[in-house]
Amino acid sequence: MEDMFPQINTFLQATIRMSIPLILTGIGTLYTERCGIINIGVEGNMLIGAFAGVAGAMVTGNIYIAVLCAIITGGLLSLIFAFLTVSRRADQMVAGFGVNLLATGITITLMPYLNANRTRAVLFPVVDTGFLKDIPILGPLLFDQSIAIWLAIILTLISTWILYKTSWGLSLRAVGENSKAVATAGLSVIKLRYAGILLGGIFGGLGGAALSLNNLGFFVQNMTQSRGFIVLAALVVGKWNPVYFAVVCLFFGAADALQLRAQAFGSVLPYQLYLMLPYLLTIVALAGLVGKTKAPKEYAKPYDPEQA
Amino acid sequence: MKREQDATMFGVNSQGLIDFLLAGSRPVASVMLAFLVSGVIILLQGVNPLEAYLAVLRGAFGDKVAFGNTCVRTTPLLIGGLGMTLGIRGGLFNVGAEGQLYLGAAAATAVGLLPLAVPSWLHILLSLSAGILGGSLWAFLPAYLRAFRGISEIVVTIMLNFVGIYFVSYLVHEPRLLAQEGVSYAQSRTILESAFLPILVKGTSMHLGIIIAVLLGFILYFVLKYTSFGFRTRMVGANPDAASYAAVNVKSSLFVTLLIVGGFSGLVGAVEMLGFKHSLYDAFSGGMGYETITVALLGGVNPLGVIVSSFFFGGLKAGGNLMQQTVGVSTSMVQVIQALAVLFLVGIGFMKPKLKTPKTTPPH
Repeated sequence: MEDMFPQINTFLQATIRMSIPLILTGIGTLYTERCGIINIGVEGNMLIGAFAGVAGAMVTGNIYIAVLCAIITGGLLSLIFAFLTVSRRADQMVAGFGVNLLATGITITLMPYLNANRTRAVLFPVVDTGFLKDIPILGPLLFDQSIAIWLAIILTLISTWILYKTSWGLSLRAVGENSKAVATAGLSVIKLRYAGILLGGIFGGLGGAALSLNNLGFFVQNMTQSRGFIVLAALVVGKWNPVYFAVVCLFFGAADALQLRAQAFGSVLPYQLYLMLPYLLTIVALAGLVGKTKAPKEYAKPYDPEQA
Repeated sequence: MKREQDATMFGVNSQGLIDFLLAGSRPVASVMLAFLVSGVIILLQGVNPLEAYLAVLRGAFGDKVAFGNTCVRTTPLLIGGLGMTLGIRGGLFNVGAEGQLYLGAAAATAVGLLPLAVPSWLHILLSLSAGILGGSLWAFLPAYLRAFRGISEIVVTIMLNFVGIYFVSYLVHEPRLLAQEGVSYAQSRTILESAFLPILVKGTSMHLGIIIAVLLGFILYFVLKYTSFGFRTRMVGANPDAASYAAVNVKSSLFVTLLIVGGFSGLVGAVEMLGFKHSLYDAFSGGMGYETITVALLGGVNPLGVIVSSFFFGGLKAGGNLMQQTVGVSTSMVQVIQALAVLFLVGIGFMKPKLKTPKTTPPH
């Protein structure tokens, strides 16, 4: 047993570390999807956020300015998507793909300038919780982590409140279910969808920063490795509910942590199986094998005011 | 149908001619804008964009080796773009080409590794068929769910991409399956030479795939436009309710179309293996499956247009290397150009002027 604790601890810590970028990104993406938009460009938002975070940290040496850079670039990229899909009514898949390709291309093109001085960037600060971090298992898991875990917990709770307890949240969810009714009630579908997409971009940037600046401090080519798609998967499996979603992310984070261990130390099951797991579960959920998934009714449909 | 015929009679019916030119002008305009914006990014890196583009052009069409490289890059984009085109025409948005092409590549590789006592052309044919089958099989679940259960193919195909990529990764890591032992990067054993697609021009890498791809383009154009299968497919894509009213079996049309689209993607992987890579790598495609969406859209979702757009993107990819070597601009600028082109295309798409369609044939 003595030896088990450190093993379990490092595994659980890795689980948390893997799931935080997913949760942070997903909270914002939840707003996007709840108003009836599917944005695969969230992958690009994360990627450019991870890049801009490192760039900001390298230039200013200040983690808060770095995170701000990530948020702003993620938000700006999502505005391109918003303009195309909401104002121009472009296909959401195509616009999202274009955004992803743009983010990939730009980050690789600019990478040589980023890694010129080969130093590590400043990281998210670790919150000192005093005696709390000495509690077995729970201590290292929750109380010896960076500020990002608190951000993830607080933002999940706030988002639950906003989506379900405020009238703005109600309007946003209504846009995803029946945009014409929202328009009839005198609210702007266009504005709500812009807001939903922008929040997705901002949080995507933050999630990206959590990926590159939580414990690494550098950027590598395509470092998001399809985590944006895992976020979309977790939203389906978590039935577009912030709390369920966060739990699913923890589970997917655990799969990711297991996968890394399987690659490093070998395992009975091939590590690719753990990597597949989020996507397999999503297909199972979509096929309706375990309960009914309630996607927003206007999921992936453009809104045409002329037809309202 | 009447208007499509008119479009070929230049000058006789100006409406048809305008339609024809407009269809081509939007992609061209988007590409120009993409080059313009990318030019600014290149300029910011301290390089003359014209020099960079000239390097791309030389790298793509400068000599026979360059042109061979362009053909090699064009082949998968063209075949995949045709599959996308068929899908979109038939009312399906297959985002799953990436996964399907991995499965196609794996199936083709598996057959290509078999020491069959058959002539080379048959070995090639069998391997290609295996690839088509592999891709089709990977499209089976989304096709079934979409056609018979009403579940959107979009998210299911995206998710299956990753499952497919990791499945192939397992195949090329596992020596009992396809993996080559003792190599640093996970890959399969090399396909037997009897299954290699023949090289068309000595000293280049141009292989038979480009001929297959271009032929497929003309065949698909003909099938979509002149056969009853094509007509029914387009009808389901344009207006499923009307198609259903006209006694077209919409469900089976969607099902079969997506299986065929998957077959196209599978062929992409197979041709890439037999013609160019000759062994299956972990993550060999690098997003090629998604690029077929761009190719199909910039080709105006028309098989003949796709031939043009795939050569354009194939040339860009082939020329990107020379750009990096000579002027030091990263090849990833090619991705930026491609991304901007598709973003501009969907951005200006809405501004397409609404042309009045005559309800009845005007009197002569």
